[in-house]
Amino acid sequence: MVKINLDNVSKSYKKFNALDHISLEIKDKEYFIILGPTGAGKTTLLKIIAGLIKPDSGKVLFDSKDVTNNTSGERNLGFMFENYALFPHMNIVENISYSGRVHARDTRNTKTLVDQVLMMTLLTGRDDAMPEELSGGMRQRVALCRALLNLEQTKLLILDEPLKALDAGLRMSLRRELLLMAKSKELELTVVHVTNEQEEAMMVADRIAIINQGKVIQVGTPNEVYYHPKNLFVANFMSEINYFDGICKKEEIPTWDILKESKRGDKFYAEIHKVSIPIPVDIGMENLFAAYIPKDRIGEIQNGDKVLLVIRSNHMKIRLGNRVQQKRNAILGKIHRRKFMGVFYRFEVKLNVKNQEKIIIVTIPATSEIHHTFLENLEVTVYFPKELGILFKHPGENVIKEVLKLE
Amino acid sequence: MRNLPTIELINVTKTFNEGRVLAVDNISLKIEDSNYVFLLGPTGCGKTTTLRMIAGLEKPTKGTVVIDGKDVEEIPTEDRDMGFIFQHFEIFDHLTVWENVTFGLEMRGYEENYIIEKAENALRTVELLDYADEFPSIFGNPGMQKLGIARAIATGAKILIMDEPLGSLDPKVSKVFRHELRNLIKDLGLTAIHVTHNQEEAMAIADKIIIMRAGRILQMGTPYELYENPNSIFVANFLGETNFLQGFVLKILDNEEMSIWIRLGGPKLNCNNFGNKFNLDDHIVISFRFEDVYLFPKDYEFESSPYDWSKIQLFNAKLETSRFIGATKRFYLTLDNGDKFLSIKPGTFEESFTAGEELIIGIHQDDIHVFKAPKNLIYELSLS
Repeated sequence: MVKINLDNVSKSYKKFNALDHISLEIKDKEYFIILGPTGAGKTTLLKIIAGLIKPDSGKVLFDSKDVTNNTSGERNLGFMFENYALFPHMNIVENISYSGRVHARDTRNTKTLVDQVLMMTLLTGRDDAMPEELSGGMRQRVALCRALLNLEQTKLLILDEPLKALDAGLRMSLRRELLLMAKSKELELTVVHVTNEQEEAMMVADRIAIINQGKVIQVGTPNEVYYHPKNLFVANFMSEINYFDGICKKEEIPTWDILKESKRGDKFYAEIHKVSIPIPVDIGMENLFAAYIPKDRIGEIQNGDKVLLVIRSNHMKIRLGNRVQQKRNAILGKIHRRKFMGVFYRFEVKLNVKNQEKIIIVTIPATSEIHHTFLENLEVTVYFPKELGILFKHPGENVIKEVLKLE
Repeated sequence: MRNLPTIELINVTKTFNEGRVLAVDNISLKIEDSNYVFLLGPTGCGKTTTLRMIAGLEKPTKGTVVIDGKDVEEIPTEDRDMGFIFQHFEIFDHLTVWENVTFGLEMRGYEENYIIEKAENALRTVELLDYADEFPSIFGNPGMQKLGIARAIATGAKILIMDEPLGSLDPKVSKVFRHELRNLIKDLGLTAIHVTHNQEEAMAIADKIIIMRAGRILQMGTPYELYENPNSIFVANFLGETNFLQGFVLKILDNEEMSIWIRLGGPKLNCNNFGNKFNLDDHIVISFRFEDVYLFPKDYEFESSPYDWSKIQLFNAKLETSRFIGATKRFYLTLDNGDKFLSIKPGTFEESFTAGEELIIGIHQDDIHVFKAPKNLIYELSLS
């Protein structure tokens, strides 16, 4: 069993607060992702868990036992950090099976395990290759194999951006393999995995901790952080978003029944209705808009408060022509730019809100119909299902600017 | 009307180490003016060498580089009207933003009024004029790249040469900035050549993509053309996410559609427009995109649905698991013979399927591509 608790952990370098009072629980057999932008403190946090750095204050507990002062070796874990090093004078198999633990095993078993990890990482047949003959991506896969093979005695795997330098296709399949391996009946690992890629986190995590500027912003399942982000930072980090300034009209009766569930009674929307409450919002259009807010956050917003209405670009819908009267949460606009991106088509739609020009991003599955008929400069209606609108108390222009700035 | 340059490479070869290393192998290509073109391929495919020959930083061993109709063999880099944006910026951090832009203009000996006008315009275009007196160190990476663009357009560059300009960016930042980069360059009407190994980045930005491998051009075209009609297993695999299943040619029909029947592990498929490319019993690989796989419950009533199913190939598969990853939901499927493949749907897709359930899979005939099987498919699909 490996359960990890971080209790009020802080760490600073000179005047820079790398980690600021972090408390987390990582459950036994959990695939736990630490997600955040560059410089958020992710790697420092991981190194504290691995015992490579000591926190300035706070405690690290493994299975409720205080290991804050124990070395990495005493903590019994397998890890792969970003700056892994291979032994240049050893071939692939020698590199990955170089470990006291592996040597102590019977050789037949070791051979099977080696073959298994080589196959998983598409390195089968390259056993004799030397590190210098390999591409960067291959070397990274070798390092990953080595971390996996070191796992015999331990049930805790620590990974720091393990798939970073790999080509997109291989990265996707390895994420899947990592998850299957961690969850396999033979291994049942606890994994702590650091990444700055939202997609990677969603692919593998049981739960995700989103970290920014040394603080834990939100911890939750992929579903929770995606559909119920705690603030604008999390909402924006998980995908491309659109936002509108608005005013909460809690007490007003909206012009359309926002409580009504969709006719189809879809499971997905019904789920959201169960945990959330609809709120009418005035964003300065003729009709009131509506969005849902989780029940536990309902107290945050009072009638008349300034709010921020956030909609993910992939939750926006788009139709040709003027359908504003037929649709809810709908605005008339014009396709300003469009770009085919593969699975999705991305539109920048220019519209008028409060007599000001605004660009809304809409990404929808690319079909040949979209390709041939949704052309630039055409009039379109963009709208969104109220269940997918995300509401925050307005954080102020400065916060919005800070969150959305590109650095 | 401004006359923007086209770039043409005619039978260009480049070798290093006295011919021992063949970096670029007899390639020809044409880049139209005001086009945003990508050179895309895995490490070592020759894309950077090709870019450096266009820029005049390398001389071709054989062949000709033509810019604006002229052979540029004798024209040095600085006279090719080009601006350069690299992964590691090459911005002078001891000079202010303003000085970074005016530096090149002063070197060329322009008058002060002209320099001020050009620098102001350039910085306004990239929305950095407010930071003119600051040092570049206040910027994050996107700011640095925008300053690089300002510097290029101030000196009148008509062609932007970019080598992994988004390479050092945080993934989230890169995903946002790449649209901004494209919009800026399209609005300026520049011809841009952008080298990357990142296919998503190329798909998101490019007007045209040139895919290279081992010194050669495999395919070029718009992202839509390449995505819909890849000419090889490599291209199908490199752009987007694709299923590959192996099979044999079972029957070649003598019909208008030139269709063939294919036997996979279990199911048989009918594919059009391939009759003249294959022989009976040929070992083949079919490919289809993850998003082109339809999913139906076992008891779905096709007869009572309004759609035309005549071109949809239906077969059975088992759902192993599914995974929600935000914009999409991924379904992992297995055929009777154990072959695995994937389907993706939008993240809000309503699914009542459970793991282990038998499903009916549908793929439109036009979405299936057939290739001759390579000696080692696994190796062919392993790129990095």
